[in-house]
This record gives sequence, C-alpha cells and structure tokens, in this order.
Amino acid sequence: MVIVKNFVKKNFYRDSVQLLHLSEEAKKIEGVLDAAIVMGTDLNKELLEKQGLLTDEGRAATDNDMIIALKVEDSANIDEILEKVEKLLTAPGETAAETYYYSLESALEALKDANIAVVSIPGQYARDVVLKLLERDIHVHLFSDHVPLEHEIELKKIAYEKGLLVMGPEAGTAIINGVALGFANVVNRGPIGVVAAAGTGLQEFTVLVSQAGSGITQGIGVGGRDVKSPVGGLMTLLSIKAFEADPETKVIAIVSKPPSPDVQDKIINYIVENTKKKYVTCFIGGKTFEIPEKLKGRLVQTKTLHAAALEAVKLVDEKLYEEAKKKLFLPKEEIIKIAEAEIAKLGERQKYIRGLFTGGTLTFETQVIFKELIGDVYSNTPLNPEYQLPDVHKSIKHTVIDLGEEEFTAGRAHPMIDPTIRLLRLVDEAKDPEVAVILLDFVIGYGSHPDPATAHLDAIKKAKKIAEEDGRHLTILAHITGTEKDPQNAKKQEEILRSAGVIVLPTNALMALTAALIAEKKIDEAKIDKFYNEFLVGKY
Amino acid sequence: MVEKILKLFKSELKVINIGLEFFYKSLKDQNVKAVHVVWQPPPKIEKDLQDILDKIL
Repeated sequence: MVIVKNFVKKNFYRDSVQLLHLSEEAKKIEGVLDAAIVMGTDLNKELLEKQGLLTDEGRAATDNDMIIALKVEDSANIDEILEKVEKLLTAPGETAAETYYYSLESALEALKDANIAVVSIPGQYARDVVLKLLERDIHVHLFSDHVPLEHEIELKKIAYEKGLLVMGPEAGTAIINGVALGFANVVNRGPIGVVAAAGTGLQEFTVLVSQAGSGITQGIGVGGRDVKSPVGGLMTLLSIKAFEADPETKVIAIVSKPPSPDVQDKIINYIVENTKKKYVTCFIGGKTFEIPEKLKGRLVQTKTLHAAALEAVKLVDEKLYEEAKKKLFLPKEEIIKIAEAEIAKLGERQKYIRGLFTGGTLTFETQVIFKELIGDVYSNTPLNPEYQLPDVHKSIKHTVIDLGEEEFTAGRAHPMIDPTIRLLRLVDEAKDPEVAVILLDFVIGYGSHPDPATAHLDAIKKAKKIAEEDGRHLTILAHITGTEKDPQNAKKQEEILRSAGVIVLPTNALMALTAALIAEKKIDEAKIDKFYNEFLVGKY
Repeated sequence: MVEKILKLFKSELKVINIGLEFFYKSLKDQNVKAVHVVWQPPPKIEKDLQDILDKIL
C-alpha cells in the first residue's frame, strides 16, 4: 500500500543546496515514489502540502528541524528506506577528505596565503566571521542575506580604512581575476571594470559585454544597500578608486538600482574631482541627472543594462559596438516582426503579462521598462507600493514576480538552482484565460542549475497544452543571461527552449519591450523609436 | 589606499569558502585553490533548558 511518512530530525541542519541534492538522491532509492528533504520552514511545509507529502509529524517541525518526507510504494519497506536516507545524510561529500575544515581557524592555518573568502552563512552570524577575515587582511565576498545593517556599516568602515573589499552582504555575484564567485558567468576578460550594487545586473552586464566581443577586468558586487545613505557607497567608492589605479581597466561601469540622492552625488562628485578614465552609469529606474561639464564626453548615462553594456563597449572600441548593435541586439524591425506574429495568434480576452523571474535586478529592470511602456504592474516587489500583490501566490492583471525574494526562498535553494516553485507557478498562470504572455529569465553560469532549460521543458509543454485545450495560444518569452562558455552553454539552453516553442530574446530589455508590444496588441512605431533612443542607448 | 586591492587583482586567487558547499565545488570546477569550512548554526537551546541554565549560572 502506498503511504506518505514524515520523519523529523530535531536541530539538524544542512544547507538548502545540499538538501536539494539529498532529495534528488532519495528519489532514486528503490521503492520511493517521491521524496523531499527540507528544513521545517513554513514555506517548505506549505510546498510539501501541495505535493501531498506532509503529515502531522512534519507539521510540528520548526525552522531548525529537518523533515524527511517520503512517499513509498509499500509501507513494509519504510524502515529499510529510511535507513538508506539516513546513510545519505551522513555520507561525506566526494571531495571532503583533505580540504574540509570544521573551524575558520584551522582553514586559515591550512591556506596561510588565502587572499579572499566567500561567506554564505546565515546573516546574523556573518559579522564575527568577517571580522576575523578582515583582521587577516583577507578580502570578502559576503553572499549572505539578513546581515543586520549596523553590521554591514561596521564591517565596511573597517574594510574601507584597511583598503579591503567587502563585497556584499547580499552580493550574489563577483568575478575576480576571471574567477566566478557565487552566481557568475564565464565571460571574456577585457578592459571594462564594473562595480554593481545589483547581482543579476552584474551578470547581465558582464554577459552582454562579453557577447559584444569585449570583456571585463573585474566584476565587483557590493550589495544593494551599499549605495543607500546609511552605508554611503563605501565599497562603490573604494572599487572606483581601485579601478582608476588599475592599469588594465580602461572603462569603468557603475550598475545599481537608484542610489540614495546623497550617495549618487558623492559618487558623481568623486568622479568629477578625482578620476581620468571613462565611465558608464546605469542607475536603473533612477532620475536622469545633469552630466557635469567636466565629465562631458567621458561619462555616459544609461537606463538599462542593455544600453550600459553597449555604451561601455563603444567607449572601448566603436567598431565592436557597431557590429554588436547589428548582430546581437536586434533592430526594431525584428522585434516588430516577432510581436506581430504573436499578436495574430492571441484571442481577444488575452491581454496580460506574467513575468516569473529568478533575478532581482532583471525583475526590477522589467518593471522600469513596463512603467514607460504600459504603466505600473503588480508585483511582490513593486515600483509603486499601490501595486503590491496582496497574495504573492496569485497574480493580478500585469504581474511581475521576483521568485528570489524571501517569501519564496525561506529554507529553500534560490530559484536559479531549484526551479520547483517557478514550474508550479508557470502551469498556474497558463490556466488564466486572460494571460497573453509569460516571461522567464534563465540566469545560468556557475552556481546555477546545471540545465535549467531542460528542467522547465515539461512545465512549458504542460502550460502550452492547457492553453491549447482551452482554444488559446500562449506566448512564452525567455531571455538567457549566460554565455556559450558557461557550464550550461547558453546556445544549448536556447536551442532547448526554442524546441518547445519559446521565443528567446537577446537581452532582458528587449524581452520586456517585446512583451509590452504583444500585450498591447498594437505597434506604435513612434513609441518604439522613443524606447530605442532613450532606453537602449546612452546619454552623453 | 587601494594597494591591497591591486595586489589581489594581480594574484592567483586562494579562497576560503564558508557556508554553502556548492560554491566550493564551483571553485574546484574552475581549478581555483580553495578550502571549505563546514559551518553549522549554534544549536538552539529549548526555553525550559535555558531557564534552568539561567538559574544555575
């Protein structure tokens, strides 16, 4: 007889990615129909419930407990199966032997000349660890979120005084000396240095620069709060100073959501007074500022990552820019052709866009573009607070969701690694007869799912079939933030998506434009021209 | 003031990874010299046990 059983291990911790891997391994055990091994957070319990894997034992678990949820063919085998799962939990990793340490001190002893650390422990514990690293003059990539603001200020002040980098907290990405730290792509090396307070912003920027034929010296992620008043742009300014002194860096790009006005002024004033190199700013969603006289000709202001990457390449090599513009970034005629073909297939009732994003900056940029083209849209992270979704699990009219936010990730791996939540949502959205377009971002590279396109195939086919059986056509647009050199290979990912009828756009900005045109069901060339002139090129 | 950063830019990376194990694996995949620190949160003490400890101490 098929039964569902939950076993709770009190105060037993494994990180979310290890748990995802363990769940996959547990599913392979003979006699197991389905399995999930998760920490007992409310979100995880809710998902277990949806998957029919939750029992009263699991319901009673707390955030610090691990739930082993099993659906087995025959209740007689349950003890034997549980024993096998327990073995998985205690099995050492394949590389565990000589390079795993159980204290920071022993690791520092083993790697005496360590020059950088990647810290991804829960934020409330990060301060003490980072202080010890800074004491040893070790630069830090602080991936953790929920680091208290006062800790961030304290750590960055110390680092600034010592001339050390603290990249983060909440910095998903960094590329140092061509090495991907956290979530990052394999991109060309070249003359462009970028400092970003926007994780997937840094990924999209470096990928597009690389695709355009240029490359980057370093990609420094500083975390979103760095450019807000309390932190005062400490690491952004330190990075600018470093790039200015670095002989390899010729052009410097600064990417972020809108900084606090005082921090933006501080950054621009610093550039005016103390620098000689060329600069590109991309304060997505920020107000256009007056470019100081002294910076005219060597600072370009942009509104999208697409424009920032193109302009940075242009400052390096005008010829590369012209080629990239033609080949990579689709002229408006191509976009119109795609939009018209889709509009022709849509029914009268279909008018809404549903964006299901894994990248925070990509979600934000999409909303900024929609605001220009179709107005405010609903979101769990809206630009306009009036458009806050009352229930983040239910879309309203045009909706753009950031699935990387806390409400979707508590005790779970990020959606770039674990697509489960997005797959369920994609199928849900397809059931809504008013939906015209679904948007999906695929952020690949180190750190991300090994093959996200294939992982989405079944859900994409199911979504299309639901629409078809209801006599509708469903447009699915995608953008891949990634390169052919990434372990997942962007080209291969694109082919897989196209084979399932997905339209793949070369930049996030162009995906947003295409979606807006399709949903509006009209081609207003003047509006498109304005968009190309203001959002896809820079202002000198 | 940026000497240490410029030195980093010119050096081979030697990384201490603390927390998510898969970031360590990513570094190994890139042939980067790295060590991994297995991190566990401090155990949470039940409230009644904490009360007893508070009384004793």
